[in-house]
Amino acid sequence: MIGYALEVAQAALALLLAPGLVGLIRWMKARLQNRRGAPVLQPYWELRKLFRKEVIVSNNASWLFRATPFIVFASAVAVTFLVPILAVPLPFDGIGDLLVVVYLLLLGTFFLSLAGLDPGSPFGGMGASREMTVAALAEPTVALAIFALALSAGSTNLGQIVARTMTNPGAALSPGHLLAFGALFIVTLAETGRLPIDNPATHLELTMIHEAMVLEYSGRYLALIEWAAAVKLLIFFSLLGNLFVPWGVSMALTPATLAIAVASLLAKLVILAGVVAVLETRIAKLRLFRVPELLSVSFVLALLAVTSSFLLR
Amino acid sequence: MLLGPPLLAALLAAAVKPYRRFVGWTNALLSLVSLGAAVVLWRHVLAGDVLTSGPVEFLRADALSTLLALCVSVVGGLAAWLGPGMGGDDGYDGAQARRFRIFGNLFTLMMLFAVVSNNVGFMWIAIEATTITSAMLIPLHVTKASVEASWKYILIGSVGIALAFGGTVLGYFDFVNLAGHREAALNWTVLMASAPRLHPQVIQLAFVFLLVGYGTKAGLAPMHTWLPDAHSEAPAPLSAMMSGVLLAVALYAVIRWKLVVNAAVGTGFTDELFTAMGLLSLAIGAFSLVVQRNYKRMLAYSSIEHTGLICVGLALGPLGMFASMLHLLNHALAKSAIFLLAGRVLHRYRTTEISGVSGLLTAMPWTGGVFAAGVLAVIGLPPFGLFISEFALFRAGFAAGRPWLMGLVLALLAVAFVSMIGHLNRMLYGAPAAGVRVGEGSAWPLVPLGLCMAALVVLGLTLPAPLRALLTRIVEIAGS
Amino acid sequence: MDSVFSQLCVLGSSLALITGLILLWRRGVTAYISAFTWQSRAITVVTVVVAYFGPDHELYWVAGALFILKGVVIPRLLKQMERRFAAERELDPYVNTATSLVISGLLVLFGYAITRPLVALSHLPTRAGMPLAMGLVLVSLFVIISRKKALTQVIGFLMLENGLALLAVLGTYGIPLIVELGVFLDVLMGFLVMQIFIYQIHETFESIDVEQLSNLRH
Repeated sequence: MIGYALEVAQAALALLLAPGLVGLIRWMKARLQNRRGAPVLQPYWELRKLFRKEVIVSNNASWLFRATPFIVFASAVAVTFLVPILAVPLPFDGIGDLLVVVYLLLLGTFFLSLAGLDPGSPFGGMGASREMTVAALAEPTVALAIFALALSAGSTNLGQIVARTMTNPGAALSPGHLLAFGALFIVTLAETGRLPIDNPATHLELTMIHEAMVLEYSGRYLALIEWAAAVKLLIFFSLLGNLFVPWGVSMALTPATLAIAVASLLAKLVILAGVVAVLETRIAKLRLFRVPELLSVSFVLALLAVTSSFLLR
Repeated sequence: MLLGPPLLAALLAAAVKPYRRFVGWTNALLSLVSLGAAVVLWRHVLAGDVLTSGPVEFLRADALSTLLALCVSVVGGLAAWLGPGMGGDDGYDGAQARRFRIFGNLFTLMMLFAVVSNNVGFMWIAIEATTITSAMLIPLHVTKASVEASWKYILIGSVGIALAFGGTVLGYFDFVNLAGHREAALNWTVLMASAPRLHPQVIQLAFVFLLVGYGTKAGLAPMHTWLPDAHSEAPAPLSAMMSGVLLAVALYAVIRWKLVVNAAVGTGFTDELFTAMGLLSLAIGAFSLVVQRNYKRMLAYSSIEHTGLICVGLALGPLGMFASMLHLLNHALAKSAIFLLAGRVLHRYRTTEISGVSGLLTAMPWTGGVFAAGVLAVIGLPPFGLFISEFALFRAGFAAGRPWLMGLVLALLAVAFVSMIGHLNRMLYGAPAAGVRVGEGSAWPLVPLGLCMAALVVLGLTLPAPLRALLTRIVEIAGS
Repeated sequence: MDSVFSQLCVLGSSLALITGLILLWRRGVTAYISAFTWQSRAITVVTVVVAYFGPDHELYWVAGALFILKGVVIPRLLKQMERRFAAERELDPYVNTATSLVISGLLVLFGYAITRPLVALSHLPTRAGMPLAMGLVLVSLFVIISRKKALTQVIGFLMLENGLALLAVLGTYGIPLIVELGVFLDVLMGFLVMQIFIYQIHETFESIDVEQLSNLRH
């Protein structure tokens, strides 16, 4: 019982924190660029505004266009139930291992691409095709990178992976882990639409990937999609944090450990947000034909991680 | 005694800054000293003792080393006597002659060092050094073609040698893991002694690296792509040395390791590899000869073909080993002589195209005659020595129970035979091309080359007893 | 397998392999030279670690020679060449970048496969890094085959030598010192000759693109 309550609380926490995370990254970037920047809570005000606005749907759009925001949001929330954000082990661990997580994320991307094509606008189609190019290389890399960890832990269950790393601290510095971290970090940038793959703050349609797909959305649909994107960012950050540096994740379900878990989660999120902010300030967006090269590098890193872990079992 | 003369000659050439003719003459005389030392070695080996010298048996000369030392010193002597800078008009200026004398002698020194070294690591170092010294000489005349040839040679050669180094490291690894201690672990004698206890898969992997690596230097297909370019663009004396003995020295390295691997895992593994690569080289050499338009490239492809033949022979047991070693000697003599002759032809006709060379017999009768004899020797006609060694190879093949293989080899040799005879005919007969001076010019360089041909005839008619004894000893080493 | 020694060696070897991959990813000569320098440094560090934990004091000399030769001298010579040839970037190799990277991943897997008997045979704590060294060797071979600029091919060759040196250190704590010094000398000589030839190519062909070297056919 407590386990299920905890799962729900975990999902709620993720939903609550996600827009704040996006706002934090934006604020840090602004400060690094010598601007004052919007307050960290700005995305919450934006979501509230969007929920109250009218929805305009193109005449050419079908049921897919209206259904997609709900599907994307539902898949994001479903993943928060399966990923070890606060505590390990969790009751849903039985149905939620690595492959389910990857497929749920891909489900959201898939429907979003279709929705970009649905209204028949050229920018939507362009964004959809670009997104598929990125996803084609990024998704296998996610699977491979986490699989490298799974090999040394002996199971693809994410909770087990975290538990195994906590009981075996030396393994955290093994080459398999480090290479998998590198690969997963590059893929995080790709999947969540951050520089150098996609500029989240751009207003030029020809440079957009994610934004181009959602160009036609408005009102509460747009709010759901933006929120789902923020939740995806939080999921990836918590994967990066909790799989590779698992200390702080609560193993027993007592209030003290849970408090520590929340605190460590916040700390990891802030650190990762800082890293991404600095990265976005320093590097420029890659030209589109160079993106597969970067993703190939991350794929090879993941492949090396898997072979490293395999031989060092 | 063996290694001293080339070193001295190189130092002398380096010291004498504007080149003087006496350097060339001293070089030639010193090469005779090397040759004498090789003959003395031969006598010792026949008497049964294996000479070693240096700490930890650093240098060691057994029958195999002696055979190769002989080949190297003979060809080195030829190159020294007939190389640039001996006086007379040979198309090279002082600086080029000096460069040739320095690097050519270092080249010979390194080859001799490789064949008498007991330590396989030093053998590797010497063979890498041969790549470097010979590469410095290929672009003696800087043209687009020679630059291209030298780049391919140094790159492919260095990569091959690096792979051979990998194989050496793997072999060392195998030995160290099984025997534990490491002093003198790279000595060939020590490796042979502990061969039966080496781990089979590791030594097989090591041999693959070594065969590919040293095989690149020997011109085995499919790593042969540098060979036609390098041998045809290099100056004639260098081509003679490279085609005649550098290929042989690379094969020597392969054979040394083959003996270790055979002692470890039996002959099956190496036999298959040798047969496959030998046949491939034979085929590529033979078929490339059909379309040749450049006579120096023709001779280079013929070298590839003969290397393939030697490799096939190595896979045929003790009889095959005998035949291959005899063939090595014959080929060294014949190929170096004919490359030097080709140099004379090039100097007169100023072109390397077969179509550009016609009427060789009318323009330079003696040269044409010896050249024809050389080509006939290289394609394996009696009464020259190569016929005998090829015949011995076939006998070994039938004795080993591989009739189909021998049939295939015979067919490929026939292809090469027909092509080269055709090219030779085009070169010998007809009217001399316009602007070509008729008449022999200075004929005395033909004397040593004629001697080579005579030696080949002798080898074709009989097999002198000392030589037979030497080859038998080599087979004994292989069998033990 | 968990000891610090083993971990450090594997880390160093992984670093060497990854810097090798940079040759396939980036396009400019400057990046290649930095990658090579870092790779040589990583291998020097691995040699020092093996010398310390081995213990094998001869390896300190080897590490010193490695650092001076491949960490200082050769990069300096390469930078001289870069000043003249930096404009020639590897823009159009025979195999494009993404495919090259995937092929190199497969080559590393192949390297793992063929070094399995080696790892099984060895008792040294450094044996886990040997497959990575072999992977570096194979990736360097691929670089030499698939790139068009002579300078990239030379750097690929230098990385091949690095990979073999690493294999020797990890497999047998290095080969005898005299032989090792001879090997270094040979590598230096080979590199100098290659450098001379690249200058000659540039003078005769006005570029260092080896696709131009196609006059000699059949």
